Amino acid sequence: MRVDVVHNVLKLNDALAQQIRADLRGRGIFCPNLISSPGSGKTTLLERTLEHFRGTWGQAVIVGDLATSRDAERLAEYAQTVQINTDGGCHLDAAMVANAMPHLDLDGVDVLYIENVGNLVCPVGYDLGHDAKVALISVTEGEDKVAKYPRLWREADVVLLTKADLLQYVPFDVARFYEDLRALNGTVPVLEVSSMTGQGMDAWFEWLTARRESPNAQEPAA
Amino acid sequence: MHELSLAEAILPSVLAIAEEHRARVMSLTIQAGALQMIVAESLAMGFLAVAEGTAAEGARLIVEPVAVTARCRRCELVFGVEDSIFLCPDCHVADAETVTGNELVLLRVELEPCESMSSTTS
Ligand SMILES: Nc1nc2c(ncn2[C@@H]2O[C@H](COP(=O)(O)OP(=O)(O)OP(=O)(O)O)[C@@H](O)[C@H]2O)c(=O)[nH]1
Ligand SMILES: [Mg+2]
Ligand SMILES: [Zn+2]
Ligand SMILES: [Zn+2]
Repeated sequence: MRVDVVHNVLKLNDALAQQIRADLRGRGIFCPNLISSPGSGKTTLLERTLEHFRGTWGQAVIVGDLATSRDAERLAEYAQTVQINTDGGCHLDAAMVANAMPHLDLDGVDVLYIENVGNLVCPVGYDLGHDAKVALISVTEGEDKVAKYPRLWREADVVLLTKADLLQYVPFDVARFYEDLRALNGTVPVLEVSSMTGQGMDAWFEWLTARRESPNAQEPAA
Repeated sequence: MHELSLAEAILPSVLAIAEEHRARVMSLTIQAGALQMIVAESLAMGFLAVAEGTAAEGARLIVEPVAVTARCRRCELVFGVEDSIFLCPDCHVADAETVTGNELVLLRVELEPCESMSSTTS
């Protein structure tokens, strides 16, 4: 016997993510979801960002990692942070975020950053209830990561080319990077940044500020 | 790893259907868009692993691939996407929404009625 269903595999995740989004928006909290390969500079960018907006915004962080709480320890220096240990899982899902949220005091929080597990594939498919996907690619990992892992760059609300201070030392083909990226997504803003030298960080802070003020401007792709 | 967690997400819906029909699952078909980058063999293996000891034990998971197409936001043209190139052939700009290629859908389940299942469904 054959039963036709047409049932979205991630339906449960997506429904929970919508609840999280409604909850966060109800509290006026803006939520960016940072996605990149391992080591592209998510935690370092967050450290500089938390530092920059300290005193301006109430900030909190949910950080996912396969193992260890090292990123959470780094970030807890700047803002309240919960660590989600995925025990080998390659991405965060909405249930993990929902379970983490009660561990944060969200009163007075304006921005809740989510640092996803370092991975260019799996995190892209899981809606976490975020307002924006922030995609990072570092100059040290090679420009071919754009063409090889297309979906992230398709769905990103902003692309950060990180570790720009190292461009002079590594054979990263910037022209090729833009060419490949623009063939996937002709409209996404791209910011070249360095958490080390501060290059381009003002543009990133401005993007965050502007986007926080109008999170509904663009519905995020799940 | 990814495929295993997707297999876990698929299993409950499949088991619900099996239970409703008091049947065993022989096979299931998953429609997977190319942008999902699903490895069909890994998903099938992952499903075998998570379905062990359930009414879907041993079920064959078939992946039906879906090619990527996009619609240009400027001229509305729907075009096929190859090698991750979303440039509209007319406008030469990648300002296009994905039409197909992001699917991850349980499409159908093939069941075999099984009398003994009614008492042993886990
Ligand atoms: N030169 C340079 N190094 C950087 C920059 N940003 C981060 N790094 C270094 O890159 C390494 C990885 O940075 P992290 O911030 O831990 O990267 P991550 O994306 O959080 O890594 P995972 O969470 O493990 O995926 C660290 O040694 C950082 O010091 C930068 O802008 N310039
Ligand atoms: Mg990190
Ligand atoms: Zn994975
Ligand atoms: Zn066009």
